[in-house]
Amino acid sequence: MATAPKDFRFGNFVGSLVWLIFWIIVIVSLVGLPLIFIIFFYIPLPYSNGEVITPYLFLSMIVDPTRTAPIIKFIIHTDFFRAAVFPGFAFAAMIAATTIYVERKFLAKMQLRTGPLYAGKIEGILQLIADGFKLISKEIIAPSGADKPIFWTTPIIFVATAAALTVLIPVAPGWVGADLDVGLLAIFAILGFFPLIALLFSWSCNSKYPFIGGLRALHQMIAFEIPFILSALSIVLLSGSLNLTDIVESQYSFWFFIIAPLSAFVFYISSLAELERVPFDLPEAESEIVAGWLTETSGMIYGLIQLGTYLKLYVLAALFVILFLGGWMGPQIFPQEIIPGYTGEKIYNATVINGIFWFTIKTFGMIMLILLPRGINPRIRIDILLHTGWYKLIVLAFINMFIVLAMIYGGVITPGGLQ
Amino acid sequence: MKEELLMADAAFIGLSVLTVGSAIFALESREIIYGAIGLAVSMLGIAGFFILLDSPFVAMFQIAVYVGAVAVLVIFIVMLVRTEALFSATEDRGRRIAGLIFSLLMMVGIGVLLFSSIFSTAEFSPLMEKIVTKIGNEMLTYYSPVFILLGLTLAGAIIGALTLARREDSDQFTSASPQYKKIQVDKKAEEKEQV
Repeated sequence: MATAPKDFRFGNFVGSLVWLIFWIIVIVSLVGLPLIFIIFFYIPLPYSNGEVITPYLFLSMIVDPTRTAPIIKFIIHTDFFRAAVFPGFAFAAMIAATTIYVERKFLAKMQLRTGPLYAGKIEGILQLIADGFKLISKEIIAPSGADKPIFWTTPIIFVATAAALTVLIPVAPGWVGADLDVGLLAIFAILGFFPLIALLFSWSCNSKYPFIGGLRALHQMIAFEIPFILSALSIVLLSGSLNLTDIVESQYSFWFFIIAPLSAFVFYISSLAELERVPFDLPEAESEIVAGWLTETSGMIYGLIQLGTYLKLYVLAALFVILFLGGWMGPQIFPQEIIPGYTGEKIYNATVINGIFWFTIKTFGMIMLILLPRGINPRIRIDILLHTGWYKLIVLAFINMFIVLAMIYGGVITPGGLQ
Repeated sequence: MKEELLMADAAFIGLSVLTVGSAIFALESREIIYGAIGLAVSMLGIAGFFILLDSPFVAMFQIAVYVGAVAVLVIFIVMLVRTEALFSATEDRGRRIAGLIFSLLMMVGIGVLLFSSIFSTAEFSPLMEKIVTKIGNEMLTYYSPVFILLGLTLAGAIIGALTLARREDSDQFTSASPQYKKIQVDKKAEEKEQV
């Protein structure tokens, strides 16, 4: 256990920090800046307002706030930014991190506990950062006899697959990492990787509880994949497209939840099963099989799998919002011009901000709804789970699909909106 | 335009190396589970080729069916089978060389056929917009008899599989079956009688 040394003084700590900052400034100005200039000399420079951005111009633009706008605009419209930062990974990871904290407080309040309280003074708001540091500093123990290559790579592939899903989610008009014509199919295709990863990881641990958990995960995810796809299919019938942006835009007048409530219910239950959340948390049933397929995970391997799980939670909640709750559609509450009369390079776009606002609000509501059963439901048995998946949910999804088909053939609605 | 072509070429070479390399790995790996993973990666590479050929619809089904279902099935079965039972003999040198020669002959033959056929002068057709809609339209108009026939065949296969897999004697173990409920009711009645 790491403890502070005996002669620890806060003044020394601050002094060392100041010393560190001093050296960073010295090194950056003596080595970093010349290096940046050399690099800028060799790489092709982007254009802005018809003039080439030279290093001098670039630095003066950074210093001058009114000229920073084109640079920021150039950066936020690159594909890399979209995949890695805003509608993609970083945004989803922020929501995932918030979800972990919110879940703990929310469940605690439901069960008359306090939840995280001490880290960060105010309601334990820094608990997540503390947990993160704990996970990073912990030793990763690979069980003896484990299949090392698979054991080390599968958690990384798990996070990578979950991050690949986040790129496909549109959060505002035009704000999506990859706007595919087959976006919905792509999401289901990528979701099909997870049973494989869980099975491989549980097998590679060479331990019986993970393997039991892995087999349960496989059964559960495959049983619920069919109602999952079927419930999304009635939305495809309604909107006449597999493109997620088109699906949202065809809900401009009403939410598809009104026409397909049964499908929404099936989708919600199936996403609970896909996410291994209570009451379908059989793969990680801690009172039966230690921790299921996560039994042998420790340190950052556990952290990576948790990150992947919460990214998946965000993606499925966002997908519910896109399919049934009208995505980013909502009343315009932001003003068109934030500074009256400002006619520079526009960074502020009222429609986009509005879309992001409504999308985030709806997604958070949906995440809370997915978290809710953990506080009120016990775990169900595996035969009831499989029975629910194969017999009941598929039938419900089909019933709603036939209702939608009847409405389309009866001329009540056409694909793409009310007639 | 030229940069795009270069990038497509780089992606093509990368995908080829990935697909062929993992296919060879799948064949040559002594550890059978690594072989199965190699097979899955190879199928993923083929999906990449479909994306390069501007048919994302086929690519998505390639991923969903081959990686999501077939690879899971193969790996699941491999995990339940002992490795020693499968690999007792090694391939001898003569057969290996014969196999290589045969596959080379095959490839040369196919290559000669392809280059002498119309495919060698085929031109790229312009990229279709809304390719998924087009596939759906074709499926429900020109190909509708085939579509219905395939649907009936698949439905027949599924019903047949369910009939074969259904065991009459295991019904009582599922709580939702009527027999189980009947047993429960009987038990309750017995308990009442005892009281």
